[in-house]
Amino acid sequence: MTTLTDRYVWAAARTLPEAQRAEFDRELRERIGDATDALVETGRAPADAERMALVELGDPAALAASYVDRPLQLIGPRYYLTWWRLVKMLYSVVLPIAVAAVVLAQLLSGADVGDVIGNAIAVGLSLAVHLGFWTTLVFAVLERSPGRGAADLAWTPDMLPQLPELSRPGRRSELIGSLVFLGIFAVVIVWQQFGLPWVDALETIPLLDPDLWSFWIPYFLVLILLEMLFAIAIYAWGWNWWLAVANLVLNVAFVVPALWLFTTGQLINPEALEAIGWPWGDAGDVVVPLIIVVVIGVAVWDVIDGVIKTVRGRGGAMPTLGRI
Amino acid sequence: MSNDETTAGHIQELRRGTVVLACLVRLRQPDYGYALLESLNALGIIVDANTLYPLLRRLEKQDLLVSEWNTEEARPRKFYRTSPAGDALAEVLATDWRRIDDALARLTTGDDR
Repeated sequence: MTTLTDRYVWAAARTLPEAQRAEFDRELRERIGDATDALVETGRAPADAERMALVELGDPAALAASYVDRPLQLIGPRYYLTWWRLVKMLYSVVLPIAVAAVVLAQLLSGADVGDVIGNAIAVGLSLAVHLGFWTTLVFAVLERSPGRGAADLAWTPDMLPQLPELSRPGRRSELIGSLVFLGIFAVVIVWQQFGLPWVDALETIPLLDPDLWSFWIPYFLVLILLEMLFAIAIYAWGWNWWLAVANLVLNVAFVVPALWLFTTGQLINPEALEAIGWPWGDAGDVVVPLIIVVVIGVAVWDVIDGVIKTVRGRGGAMPTLGRI
Repeated sequence: MSNDETTAGHIQELRRGTVVLACLVRLRQPDYGYALLESLNALGIIVDANTLYPLLRRLEKQDLLVSEWNTEEARPRKFYRTSPAGDALAEVLATDWRRIDDALARLTTGDDR
């Protein structure tokens, strides 16, 4: 007929398998022709009528896709939830572990802090992109392959998450554990001033720098007291967003000054270092980064744990690890 | 506004299956897509071209319709006709349709026999 119809038919037919094209081409021309004729009969100019008929048909690629039942979504309902669970698991488990491993390896090899942070961000970003892309690609291919592969991945009642532990008796043991630990911690901080009797070299020498008594040691003792009050608050009210934020603040208030004092050499008493023969050959290059990573890791995990418990307690859904 | 959309959505849902039945019955006389569209609309069975053409193709794929190209006129047209299987399905659907109609009638009049 005219070029507009030809262009439409070509645009629609080119994405179809060769064998179906001739039939599709004919059917489509019949449909466009009949629709155009009907519009001309209502008094429209032929060119306008043709254009209107094509507008009515819509995007040729969508029309062709519906002709061969090709999905018009990347991942459909059959695989979406499986894909989503897997992505959540990869991002919440694989990604942090890999980044932590990179950070540790770099610190051990003696890179400076700026490089370590830069590399951690670079590795984290590229790994996140790779994990997301390849996982999604596999599922998009699965979506387009025939057969019923979803049966193996189907949901079963065994996948139901455990109910969050909300009852007070369940939290009591947690409270007692926290208070005992914090109490011992405070006692050790005070006691080390008079030496640590169970370490031969430090029987009479304070481990922490005695100059810290002017401010930092009282500061940490007050923090321990606040942590105890915090543990009691958790017992009394359960986790909520205010307490999750308070947990973050307490962790930062503890870890940042402690690491600052540690890395600038103000934390440990020089006499104590001498007494234990520090640095133990090359071991210092390994032990210091290891301590830093462990301290940061514990604090970060504690904050995340608080957030997870808050979300679960509020009926939110968190990644159910190991239950994909 | 959104109320109208809800109503339109439900009406569409309700009509979806009836278009299949109407096609299967109407195509006992062979006909091509546009003529079928016109005649259904004239009967008050409102159906959109973007619904009807894919439906005809699907019914043909399911062997409920058979088709034949008519090339006698200037524009070749694909004529569809109800197959024996399509006829049988039309019977089943029509029976079910009448059963639902009866049930709804009894429901609305409150006459529970």
